[in-house]
Amino acid sequence: MNAFLRRYFALATKEVQQLRRNRGLVIQLLLPPTLVLVIFGFALNPKVRNLRLGVVDESMTYESRGFIDALTGNVNFNVTEVYTRPEDAEAALNNLDLDLFMVIPADFARTLNRGQTADVQVVIDAVDANTAQIAQGYLGKALGDYNSSANILPVAYYVPRRTLNRAAHPAPPPGAVDVRPAYLYNPGLVTTWYYVTGIMSIIMFITASLVASALAVKEKETGTIEQLMMTPAQTSEMLLAKTSPVFVLMMVVLFIALITGIVIFGLPVRGSLWLFALAGGCAALAGIGIGVMISTVSKSQQQAQLLTFFVNPVMTLLSGATSPIDNMPDFFQKLSLIDPLRYMVTIIRGVTLKNAPWSALWPNLLVLAACAIVLFSISAWRFRKQ
Amino acid sequence: MKKILAQAMKEFRLFRRDKLLIMLAVLMPVVLILLAGGTQSLRLRNVPVLVYDFDNTPLSRTYIETYGAALTFRFVSNKGESPERALASGLGRAALIIPQNFERDARRGGGPIVQLLIDASDSNSATALGNMSAALNGSFNQKNGLAPPPQQTVSLQQRLWYNPGLVSRIYFGTGGLGMILIIFPALLGALATAKEYEMGTIIQAYASSLTAAQWVLGKALLYVAIGFMEFLMCFVVGMIFFSYHIPTDPTVLLVATVLYLMAGVFFGMMLGIGTGTQSAAIQGVQMGSFLLSLLLSGYLFAIVNIPVQIRWFSYTLPATFYVQIVRNSILRNVGWGTSFGPVLALVGLAFAFYFINVLQMRKMQFKA
Repeated sequence: MNAFLRRYFALATKEVQQLRRNRGLVIQLLLPPTLVLVIFGFALNPKVRNLRLGVVDESMTYESRGFIDALTGNVNFNVTEVYTRPEDAEAALNNLDLDLFMVIPADFARTLNRGQTADVQVVIDAVDANTAQIAQGYLGKALGDYNSSANILPVAYYVPRRTLNRAAHPAPPPGAVDVRPAYLYNPGLVTTWYYVTGIMSIIMFITASLVASALAVKEKETGTIEQLMMTPAQTSEMLLAKTSPVFVLMMVVLFIALITGIVIFGLPVRGSLWLFALAGGCAALAGIGIGVMISTVSKSQQQAQLLTFFVNPVMTLLSGATSPIDNMPDFFQKLSLIDPLRYMVTIIRGVTLKNAPWSALWPNLLVLAACAIVLFSISAWRFRKQ
Repeated sequence: MKKILAQAMKEFRLFRRDKLLIMLAVLMPVVLILLAGGTQSLRLRNVPVLVYDFDNTPLSRTYIETYGAALTFRFVSNKGESPERALASGLGRAALIIPQNFERDARRGGGPIVQLLIDASDSNSATALGNMSAALNGSFNQKNGLAPPPQQTVSLQQRLWYNPGLVSRIYFGTGGLGMILIIFPALLGALATAKEYEMGTIIQAYASSLTAAQWVLGKALLYVAIGFMEFLMCFVVGMIFFSYHIPTDPTVLLVATVLYLMAGVFFGMMLGIGTGTQSAAIQGVQMGSFLLSLLLSGYLFAIVNIPVQIRWFSYTLPATFYVQIVRNSILRNVGWGTSFGPVLALVGLAFAFYFINVLQMRKMQFKA
């Protein structure tokens, strides 16, 4: 066995023994991919259901009640309360008791029976832009159904019965273009898959950088780094020996996370597993690289962790793990290009959900690998300077 | 009271010496609020769409133009790849496929079918895309005389209150305030207490005439004050980037902020005392206050969407209530009436954490 390998194994054994004694670390490594992943996977859900709808019915006629029925036949709206004055509904909206309210004017039935278009006011609490937009969509659809069914029957006499006739979706008239959306990769539109894959990547990265920075700085803090410097081991060997146990642990974490995803959330793995492992490996290296680099610039374990604490939220928010990168302002989109986590998220989603071809994945993989190499070189250089 | 102030002064002197902490205290809130407010958005924009036009007639081009005019889409080249492969490669997030004889079929009344393949790995965007394509298709039919104009018996006059432009930035920008004000004060509190344990100086606190309550309050006072400075800084940043307005009745927001900061600091101190080491405390804060608040407080998604089994957890997070109060005050501009419940909850949580602190300390303290 040559000298390099012998020294490497000796150092690696030392690291493994140290790791084994650190029980807090084991918890810190095992908790995120299981418990945290499960909680967040279930908790993150941008769906909009059960919107609380208030109604101000100033008309109080068959027609107005028929209209309300037509809207609330939609499962997405729950009529929470019927108000007599618009002011009361306004107050309720202010009090967050409602998400939206609707005012049906006193002349609603009369206008309809004259064959004219009746106006109905809808006020939506738009603080949450996403919910408001979706509520608008639901309203538009429900109204479209109401209007098209109203044409089938004379308006004035059959209003209450109209709700029964609207069961079938109205077919487009002949000649009209029809668009058929097909939902690829996730035809059941399962929300959790998107977030589980995102959080999986976040956990990998955050844990790798935290653990690596803590371990690397510990020697410095306890003063044992001097002893290491005296040994015949090279800087690169030391770095390698220090990081390889962490790397192995991170791969274990990654696969625990994947198994959790598969078992609990039914996450499909459509691509090849070795590509998943390769990407995970590169991401772990990049994460460890960031951790080690931070540790070389900081004086104490506490400083190192403070810095990681600062770096991690930034990377998480920019990575597109929780919200699509295309939606960000252009400046942040450009900034996200230097976030290694972004590539990790792309690859993980590509492999699990989409079975993306190799030609699409390798550029991401390359960037991740480059990140890892650059970060490691910087830390090796900083390490040597000490 | 004097003892509390003296304790706070001592903390301040210690804090002043730690340059890294001061730098982080100034930089972190500003950077984070910009990111937390700017990057998170569920509204579709700039969606890259691949176009496969197998008809290539004036009508098919008009059809494509309808999508382009929606400003939500951005057409990208398909580089000669098949739609499935291009989508799998992430070249686009949807592929619009117009069949051959599209125009002829439309003119003859054959009702051509256009296919839209959507990458549904992000199911939220996919749903929105599907809905949008249906709406665009309808307007295309009407404009080109392929369908009769809809009979409008009832028309909805929609009014969007509080955020008429439907700007996500405003929603996440205000929620971001809650994220930032929980991270840093909690971190400082955790570090300050854990440090005493690590250095062993906690023995001096035991031996002094300070009671547990005084010790805890004195420490917290400084960090609440620092947190308040951060609040003011973030508010100024928010006024520039996220259209914050000073509410008509700012008392709610101010009272809630102080309570929120107290809850955060006490929570951090609880972790600090509980773990006794700085690194463990930092990790506790990272998990306990940053990640949990980010994901469960209603900053990203509505709390009602969280399954009931986990939802109760949201109500033990101060951030849940604070984010609500911030949005009430800054966006809805409503006063005490609406925010009273959440403020009360904040009081409860702050005191709960405080009492845990005092209990933890009292166990260890010598009898005076």
